[in-house]
Amino acid sequence: MITAGIDVGSSSIKIAVMKEGELIYHHSEKLRRREPLKVITQAYSLTLKELDLKEEEIKYVATTGEAETVEFRTGHFYTMTTHARGGLFLNPEARAVVDVGALHARAVQIDERAKVLNYRMTSQCASGSGQFLENISRYLGISIEEIGSISLTSKKPEPCSSICAVLAETDAINMVSRGIKTPDIVKGIHLSIAGRLIKLLRASRAKGVVILTGGLSQDIGLVAALIELAGIDELKSGDRTYEFKTHPLGAFAGAIGAALWGAFRYEKVYRKIVA
Amino acid sequence: MSEINDILNRCQELYEDLSLGYVQRWKEMYGKKAVGFLPVYVPRELIRASGMLPVGIMGGGDQIEIIRGDAYFQSYICHIPRSVIEMALSGKLDCLDGMMFPSICDVIRNLSGMWQLMFPEKLSIYFDSPQNFESDTGGIFYQNELKRILDEFSKLSGITATDESLRDATALYNQNRRLTQQLYRRRADKPWEIPTSELYLLLRAGNILEVTEHNQMLERYMALASKENRKPLDNSRLVLNGSFCEQPPLGLIRALERAGGYIVDDDFVLAGRMIKSEIPLKGDPLENIVEAYLKDSKDVPFKYNIENKGDELVESFRENRADGVIFCAASFCDPGLLEQPMLQGRLDKDKIAYTSFQFAENTGQYQVIREQVGTFSDTIKLWGGQ
Repeated sequence: MITAGIDVGSSSIKIAVMKEGELIYHHSEKLRRREPLKVITQAYSLTLKELDLKEEEIKYVATTGEAETVEFRTGHFYTMTTHARGGLFLNPEARAVVDVGALHARAVQIDERAKVLNYRMTSQCASGSGQFLENISRYLGISIEEIGSISLTSKKPEPCSSICAVLAETDAINMVSRGIKTPDIVKGIHLSIAGRLIKLLRASRAKGVVILTGGLSQDIGLVAALIELAGIDELKSGDRTYEFKTHPLGAFAGAIGAALWGAFRYEKVYRKIVA
Repeated sequence: MSEINDILNRCQELYEDLSLGYVQRWKEMYGKKAVGFLPVYVPRELIRASGMLPVGIMGGGDQIEIIRGDAYFQSYICHIPRSVIEMALSGKLDCLDGMMFPSICDVIRNLSGMWQLMFPEKLSIYFDSPQNFESDTGGIFYQNELKRILDEFSKLSGITATDESLRDATALYNQNRRLTQQLYRRRADKPWEIPTSELYLLLRAGNILEVTEHNQMLERYMALASKENRKPLDNSRLVLNGSFCEQPPLGLIRALERAGGYIVDDDFVLAGRMIKSEIPLKGDPLENIVEAYLKDSKDVPFKYNIENKGDELVESFRENRADGVIFCAASFCDPGLLEQPMLQGRLDKDKIAYTSFQFAENTGQYQVIREQVGTFSDTIKLWGGQ
């Protein structure tokens, strides 16, 4: 059985196609001020074409993220549900998922079946998100792709606000005018985001192996900052220690999880119809 | 543009027109009067039989900025009386010649007092429904109350309701009840064919339109809806409870629908559904209206019912083949929020999954509610609500 997952984020869409529990295709497309529904339809048509599949051969099209208006969907699942399943697919040892997307961040405690046990997410403020990092990188004149490696060269990270994206941007501007080196600014921001994520994790009561998902899971600077902060005693809570893991397909966790849950629902609904 | 869209656009216009342009035009055309009523229920048959247009007022929603309304109520009072005051003070309700305030809570009772002080030239009726449901006790009280109201209406309109005019009005509202129930059954059977946001707009139109016009609209919509060829989605089936008075904004209803669950029953706009079946036309028409309320009306938070609390909700859950319940109550709604723990206790007893959140009629941010209801819906779909 073949199912598809479509994850519509605020900066890009991700498509994953699963066959009998195996990932057979994945594709992402930047939105860049384009009409999301148009981009989704085009990307999905491309997917079918590249896989040489007819629409009816995809038994379940599961959407997630901001995709509730996609008309050709079979069903929709919420972000934390799909990232939980996708995270577990990418790392079967994971008992928590931290999803850092363009606008929101979530920490989700899961069990061995990918059932969400607890979660915490950021609210309106975008200071723990990819969009914020993109704004900062644009201001500093570096590309978002190189921000991680630049961060790793920092010798003396400069602290910055972790409460508000607007304040943090002001902090960054002040740092530039004070002559602070770019790697130290970037590392300070990574530490600030990592601090927020660890607070979310602690509040979600998660522990053990944590898989990073979402667009920022590929940011090596952020991962290093998370590992660094997780080792600091004052940020640990009781026996809650974290082992952060990444996966090259971390950004596709939502789409993969949606496709897997779609397969599960198809079987469940199908069995009911047959019975 | 399709005919169904024409109907829905008309409903949307009526919903958004807080100045009640339709009512003004109706009055000019027929030279008659109009009487407003607040949620939840008044016997509209009495208003019609007295030659007037009943107009349901459900607050200003998210379309009106409250400036003066806030001065009349403390911060711990719900939102609907503020927007009703705002609408009245800004002249939007000037076309109403009278207003009825059903006895649902202290706030609405106090609002009726304020109305008498603010608009002494207008008819203002505090409509006291019984809390005793025996025919020879609560029934007599209720019948006397309805007679008193009919006297007031007669003075206002110059038309005295007769048995015949009451029977005619009852027949028309019976048809309205029948069509509304049909609409609800159709939605429960095929919720993808009749989205709740559309059903809701149709109900709200029924607050304003003259009943025969609304009946035609309901019939036409249902005939057209099945031809729309809307595709079913793999959604959970949810019963919504708690919005019997102050209404959630339309945007929130749409957000709930998109959150992965079909709403298969609800307690929105109860004026046309409070009486569960048709009122008999034979015999004393007033007595029939009284008996229908006593013996055949919905279980709502403002009715005293200690023995079977929650049974009707469980019945709706089962009849509509629902997967879960969402409690969607207005912030600071005393009757609704005091009732909720009792209903939840009843659902716990039957191991029925539920989630709850609160709103105000002008709530503008739906993200958190959408995420909560969506995740609840996922839990039901994947784990059976456990």
